[in-house]
Amino acid sequence: MKSKILYILLGLFVCTNLFAQEETTEVKEKDKPVRFAWESGMLIDQQTSMVPTVKTLEMVIQHKFGSIDNGSSDLWGIYAPAGNIRLGLNYVVANNVQIGWGISRRNMYNDFNIKWTILEQTRKNKVPVFVTVFANTAIDGMDRDDLELYNYDMPYARSRFNLKSRMSYFAELIIGRKVTNALSVQGAVSFSHANFVPQWQDHDRVGLHFNGRLKVSPQGAIIFNFDAPLQIDDLSEQNPGWNAENTPGWDGPYHPEPNLSFGYEVSTSTHAFQIYMGNSQAMLLQDMMINNYNGIDFDNFAIGFTITRLWSF
Amino acid sequence: MKKYRNLLTFFVIVFVGGILLSFVTVQDKVKPAPWDIPEKYQKMENPYVGDESLERVGKILYIKHCRSCHGNNGEGDGPKAASMKTEILSFTSEKFKEEADGVVYFQSIIGRDEMPNYESKIPEEEDRWALVNYIKAMKK
Repeated sequence: MKSKILYILLGLFVCTNLFAQEETTEVKEKDKPVRFAWESGMLIDQQTSMVPTVKTLEMVIQHKFGSIDNGSSDLWGIYAPAGNIRLGLNYVVANNVQIGWGISRRNMYNDFNIKWTILEQTRKNKVPVFVTVFANTAIDGMDRDDLELYNYDMPYARSRFNLKSRMSYFAELIIGRKVTNALSVQGAVSFSHANFVPQWQDHDRVGLHFNGRLKVSPQGAIIFNFDAPLQIDDLSEQNPGWNAENTPGWDGPYHPEPNLSFGYEVSTSTHAFQIYMGNSQAMLLQDMMINNYNGIDFDNFAIGFTITRLWSF
Repeated sequence: MKKYRNLLTFFVIVFVGGILLSFVTVQDKVKPAPWDIPEKYQKMENPYVGDESLERVGKILYIKHCRSCHGNNGEGDGPKAASMKTEILSFTSEKFKEEADGVVYFQSIIGRDEMPNYESKIPEEEDRWALVNYIKAMKK
């Protein structure tokens, strides 16, 4: 099954690539990309099809506070000890190609990513959508030599937590469209893989994503994002027939929860500032797809912000 | 003792007054030096002059990139203008209106000193001229 998915993703990548070369040579002469589809390369935790001009450095500051469930006692999570931070740097190395690196507080993930906007929606609709691929690989950087795993059969077993165990991956194909001057939307399909997951949980996850922005003033927009990890039995390592009787210790099934975020974006010449609320503590997308067990309940929501800052060279 | 108390009161008044005065004293701004515009820009033709379809584009670009210093109406009174060392002149003045489009293009896109370069932020020629048209059309 894994190899099938790999072939599908590879085929998709090659097809879009060929398509891109045919289109761009023709499009360059007649039609130009639409303007102002997105204000930033990031939309809350997700990516947009926007890639700044070549030789632009982008700094990304992402912060999620603790959940709001304690109310005013910790200022709705703002003063809670829990939370997540990611600091990232992206650099545009070629036209519509960006590479990046970031560090998250959660599990001290170091992620290395690449984004390529293969096709851009054009003004005369010759190309009706943006097509973007995004991929990253992350290394769990927590300071731990061995990991004590809960394993029902070997409750005190310790596992070597080597580099291979620390790796996780994410790949995504994003299709976006600027629908009107105010509304831009994106849909995406993703594949996430983690080399290490707790016992019985799945290493692989296919996800669907939907996000967008609705401009309400020249510099302000309402933004939203929805990420849905899919439960595909053929892909899952969890047997639907497992229960506590036939599988001692089983208390599953372990199905990650979807993530819903919504907020407001303000943008200037070099900055985009997004303040939002979302139910997942994860910021790295594979972490969100594989490890998010916070449901869309009011108490799980946390306040967060994403700031991007551009420097041109 | 009374003499020392009076002296202390005097110094306190001078000190506090000095601090308060520093908030209200108008900070002198440097008058902008004449621009050294290359001949190429002085003679540059505006291929989009009078193109009304670019009005919206020019407005969006102005709000995004220029408004914070130049203000809503181009009077040089944006929120960041106060922190500039150089006086920002009005886009609505007759003198500015007389400038050639190529000169405004150079001043807006190429820039100098505190006026940043926007070549990479506004990469398309069409968009740059849309901004020039919008700036030149600003009224009081």
